[in-house]
Amino acid sequence: MVRVEKLVKCFGDNRVLDGIDLVIRRGEVVSLMGQSGGGKTTLLRCINLLEEPTAGIVEVGGELVSKDGECLHRSRRVQLRQRVGMVFQSFNLFQHLTAAENVALPLLRVGKADRTEAVRRALDLLARVGLADKALELPARLSGGQQQRVAIARALALRPVALLFDEPTSALDPESSQDVLGVMRELSTEGITMLVSTHEVGFALDASDQIVFIDRGKVVHAGPPHEVVFGSASERTREFFAGFVRYGSTAGPEGSA
Amino acid sequence: MPLAVTSFGPFHVNWISWAPTVGDGILKTVEFTVASFAGAVLAGLLLALMRESPVAPLRWLARIYTEIFKNLPLLTEIFLVYFGLASLGLRLSVFEAGCVSLIVFYAAYLSEIFRGGLQGIAAGQREAAHALGLTEREVLTRVVVPQAVRLVLPATTTMLVDMLKSTSLITISAAELMTAGQLIASTTFQAMEVYLVIGIIYFAMCYPLSMASLWLERRLKAGTPLSPRRRRLIGEVRLAMPAGAPGGWDEPQRSGSRGRPRGRGGPGRGCRRGQGGEAGQMLRR
Repeated sequence: MVRVEKLVKCFGDNRVLDGIDLVIRRGEVVSLMGQSGGGKTTLLRCINLLEEPTAGIVEVGGELVSKDGECLHRSRRVQLRQRVGMVFQSFNLFQHLTAAENVALPLLRVGKADRTEAVRRALDLLARVGLADKALELPARLSGGQQQRVAIARALALRPVALLFDEPTSALDPESSQDVLGVMRELSTEGITMLVSTHEVGFALDASDQIVFIDRGKVVHAGPPHEVVFGSASERTREFFAGFVRYGSTAGPEGSA
Repeated sequence: MPLAVTSFGPFHVNWISWAPTVGDGILKTVEFTVASFAGAVLAGLLLALMRESPVAPLRWLARIYTEIFKNLPLLTEIFLVYFGLASLGLRLSVFEAGCVSLIVFYAAYLSEIFRGGLQGIAAGQREAAHALGLTEREVLTRVVVPQAVRLVLPATTTMLVDMLKSTSLITISAAELMTAGQLIASTTFQAMEVYLVIGIIYFAMCYPLSMASLWLERRLKAGTPLSPRRRRLIGEVRLAMPAGAPGGWDEPQRSGSRGRPRGRGGPGRGCRRGQGGEAGQMLRR
């Protein structure tokens, strides 16, 4: 579904992504982990071309998105982004629109649905994330966790083939995080391809098929969740997960592991 | 011309016979305001876009313009445009000169306001719109502009009121309200009474504008849809919402502690508050 090969992204002299290789199959849920600033966000943004890669290949659904710094033409980007949804760390709901309008906006503009149809779908999606009763609230009147769930509903509106999550729970309190992670867990069982940048080890362990550990712009380790977290495959991952493994063996956060 | 010696009720000036003069003055003032404000908004928008342009010379040009005209007294500008340009052979009518001066002056201020509005929209809003597959144009028309309008509205209407009052500076025989006042005062020698009445008329024109702008601001803040399109869409959402849904009320514990905020007027207003409301939500918890 998504294929990334020798992907490089530089901001000036700063080589944020330094030759990333990654393959995500259809329906697979992949967690991107690693220290903040390691390039996880940039990698996600290169896939839907919010950032233009400097070099390497990005392919989505068999279609070439970027190769050697040449990216899809602007008009085709619109189509790409309709097939690949994105959820942001800071939610980014449209502040002037109600929850339902936020979800319906992409549907109405694409002309994929008339108003009645768009409204019905928006309410369905809001119900799916547990917020049917908040359809007419403005984002400012919703909690962070609710806003993020609306954002997920919005990202699902166009029935994307893949969803990119950029640290979706990093701005949330633990309880709201669980609500959002709950929605994501459900999605992960529904066959939608997901690429999730996250610090939630519990979620990565039990909801994803693969953990890709990124450090300083490189993939340090990629493999089945348990192997990456507990297998101590490399010095770097051992360091990173040390706290979790120690803590997890006694308390077991979320009762996952 | 009536003389100032007789008295008309509590007044010393025969306002009835001066009514046409005052009426013409009000009309002229409104004309100046409407024409100049429309021009200033357009010019201000253009300048604001130039200030944000990737082309450096455009930015400088707009910057220089803004700094010059923001820091010149309006009256000086009016005299420059009317008398100054005339001495160079460019003779503008009083109306043209008045409008040009007001536009040039207020465009500088409005451009600063508009620039603030454009900058005030978080980068994430544009990004989210792009990520949803909206085109550049749609990002502007559906996300950026509607939010920018909300941001700049209060300051812009303040400028409108300010401009209405500033038309009084076009004393180059423009026959607007202030000039009419001067004429009446110099004929009747009742300066206090005349300028009090003129002042009250200005107030009566400006105060409703200020109030209207506050009203609009409150409604926008509460999320009241202004465009018919949004109103229809929200109406449809309301119809399609599951029965018993509180339709835009706050969560019980929050609204309980704060009380229902006044002027809620949110998109949920007027919907089936009886069916849902707090009680309904409590029960389901």
